[in-house]
Amino acid sequence: MKKRVLAALLAAAMVVGALAGCGTPKTKESKESTGSDSGEKVFRYSTRTEPTTLDPTKSNCIPDNEIQHALTESLVRNTGGEVTPGVAKDWTVSDDGLVYTFNLNPDAKWSDGEQIKAEDYVYSWQRLMDPETAAPYAFIGEYIKNGLAVETGEMEPTELGVVAKDDTTLEVTLEHPTAYFLSMIGAQAQFAPLRKDIVEKYGAEFAADAEKNVYSGPYVLTSAKNQKWIFEPNENYWDKDSIKLDRVELSYVQNQETALAMYESGDLDYSEIPSAAVPNYEGKDNKFRNGNVDYYYFNMDETKDSPITNKNFRLALNYALDRNSYNTLVNNDVYAPSNSLVFSGLQGADGKYGEESKLNSYPLEGDEAKAKEYLDAALAELGKASASDITVTITTSDADSAKKQAEVCQEMWTTKLGINVEINQITYAEVLKRHETGDFEIAWGGWGSDYDDPYSYLELFKSDSSYNYSHYKSDKVDELLKASQTETDAKKRMEMLHEAEQIIIDDGAFLPQAEREVHYLVDDDVKGLNFFYCSINLDWVYADIQ
Amino acid sequence: MRKYIVKRVIAAVLTMWVLITAVFFLVRLMPGDPFQNPKMTEEVRANLESYYGFDKPLIVQYGVYMKNLLQGDFGYSMKFTNKTVNTIIGETFPFSADLGIRALVLAISMGLVLGIISARNRGKKLDFFCVVIAVLGTSIPDFIMGAILQYGFGIKWGLLPVAQYNGIKYTILPACALAFYTLASVSRIMRASMLEVSQQDYIKTARSKGVSEMRITVKHQIRNAIMPVMTVMGPTVASVLTGTFVIESIFAIPGMGKYYVESVSNNDYSMVLGMTIFYGVFLIFCNLVVDILYGVADPRVRIGER
Repeated sequence: MKKRVLAALLAAAMVVGALAGCGTPKTKESKESTGSDSGEKVFRYSTRTEPTTLDPTKSNCIPDNEIQHALTESLVRNTGGEVTPGVAKDWTVSDDGLVYTFNLNPDAKWSDGEQIKAEDYVYSWQRLMDPETAAPYAFIGEYIKNGLAVETGEMEPTELGVVAKDDTTLEVTLEHPTAYFLSMIGAQAQFAPLRKDIVEKYGAEFAADAEKNVYSGPYVLTSAKNQKWIFEPNENYWDKDSIKLDRVELSYVQNQETALAMYESGDLDYSEIPSAAVPNYEGKDNKFRNGNVDYYYFNMDETKDSPITNKNFRLALNYALDRNSYNTLVNNDVYAPSNSLVFSGLQGADGKYGEESKLNSYPLEGDEAKAKEYLDAALAELGKASASDITVTITTSDADSAKKQAEVCQEMWTTKLGINVEINQITYAEVLKRHETGDFEIAWGGWGSDYDDPYSYLELFKSDSSYNYSHYKSDKVDELLKASQTETDAKKRMEMLHEAEQIIIDDGAFLPQAEREVHYLVDDDVKGLNFFYCSINLDWVYADIQ
Repeated sequence: MRKYIVKRVIAAVLTMWVLITAVFFLVRLMPGDPFQNPKMTEEVRANLESYYGFDKPLIVQYGVYMKNLLQGDFGYSMKFTNKTVNTIIGETFPFSADLGIRALVLAISMGLVLGIISARNRGKKLDFFCVVIAVLGTSIPDFIMGAILQYGFGIKWGLLPVAQYNGIKYTILPACALAFYTLASVSRIMRASMLEVSQQDYIKTARSKGVSEMRITVKHQIRNAIMPVMTVMGPTVASVLTGTFVIESIFAIPGMGKYYVESVSNNDYSMVLGMTIFYGVFLIFCNLVVDILYGVADPRVRIGER
């Protein structure tokens, strides 16, 4: 008996030993990459949000878009806000701004050598809007004529406003004039061309890995395994002389401290800096704003018995917030405090929207006296004897940053206004649900735009928008936003949008807080990186190592 | 023996069915849904719901799921839309298991040695040293241990790679960080068990027969003292091999841990279910192996079946 015990233990030990000796799982591709010693131009960076798909139609987050920006060639290419020809060498727009006719470059080829044809765009856009596809970002295609009707199944995908006149002529009809249409299709992955034969060949497996696709863009994907994506130049790309890098390696590194450590030890050429570590890199870091804004929604639903429905009360909350101190306490001064709705870095009529803005808003440092005036007016209107009779609840997510945000607001409002503030932390998924059900008084909110235009942010306060979680209704704002969609004079249009923003601020319709800023480190020899604030943050397509 | 195993397997299948059914329905009670995009519109949501069959009654969805499951199909992830849960497990489990096996070999061998040394030198300096290691191991959280090792060996002295998993030397730091806790607990259990066994009559008999101390320890004490360590090995092996969120995150290892943890906050129903089932089967299997080994090692365990 004892011998059997011993034998069993020995056998177990041998199995464990054998398994332990079987070597690490294969990461062949990554073993070859030991930097740019061989004279190869290699750019290595990481993302902390894992890309969700390699199917352009189903892209639904910034990392997805960034990957497709390198692998696909849209009609035009948007590089840091500048629109240049892509597969379309030129285009015309009808006088009413509704019909775009693109002339495609006959030399533009897929990575397998086939010509990129107008039909490839028609197929891709129809697939995007087809309810059967269930693309999570299908709403981006509602700009195209009949987009919404196709999406809801009322019309066939073939009735979508995109037609291939011949192999090199594509005609796109829009629902309404859209000033930012070209800019949008140049950065949003969903507008990339697709090859019907390839998609149908692989079916559900299409783009499941690097081999199950063909590529229209400047790079092809040679590997997509084990949280690592490897890009190499596309030999058949129409503009391949502009592409300088020999290889790009993207690693998914969730932990920002780890990414930074990898940068420090030379395993990465580019890394974001976690906000707590930003002070350690003063003078060495670079930064860009990624277009994301942080704010709180106020629920103005009149049927709710909440002080938030009172305009003076909302203004009191807005004036009581010292956004400079807020930014120090919540964001380590890494972000930029904000008292406006539209991200300041967007393209305006001539320059940047923020520079052209004459917005008259709550001062960044707050104004306690004014806050109290508004509070007194609110108390009188609400029929409350004192501020301590008022209790409001902030509904926010369970993230650490969300907690800090809420606690700082709570502290400022309690000490300056004397009201009671409660914090209700729930999961992120539930916060999103609450936005829709309207079951909140004050709720966490954040927005980043899919296109380079103020409309994206202002739409949050358009009364019939599905994003109007605040139940805000201003006839004037609705009117201005509607008019802005048909106005073709860029300057006049921008003025309308500025005016709408002013009304929203005057109504205290929400609580602006901060614009997000990303701090990063990059090796000195890396040149030509571009940064953008819609759809894409980091664009290395034209980067070079010198 | 065969009857014993058959009985255990039937119990395991029943346990799995209860687990799957409970998780299937409970996961739907979580607030929110898998389509977590602040920009989601009603129209897109409706299309997604019909795509995943959420518009059908829950009991029908359960039937479809069970049918697919019997064919070994966990379905598509709802977050990583063009990957199946099977693919994700297939890609990530080898990394977690590889790391886990290394950590376990280290933890068990070192833990046993420390426990034995400690017991044999009870009350002496060496014992004290081993106890300190055990206390540190159980009280330092793995994210601190991982960060310390990473900083010291990776950044400060540059001896080992900071992160990722591209070869043998990449495995050393995460395996040590992961092993530390198990090592400490194994050494504590072994020490206590060794001391308990040393009071037994058969040890006294052996000693009075004049058997050498070394022979007593090796032949009698260790073999009997190891049983409690085997008992805890089932759950330990299962949890270490299926990946740990924290260590894998710190060392950027493409393992399973993250997908298991995040599938819950993502409300990725198919992923939660797939991961739970995989982990459940693995845990039951490990416990079964331990039970069988136990039966082999200790005749008293098998008395019940006779």
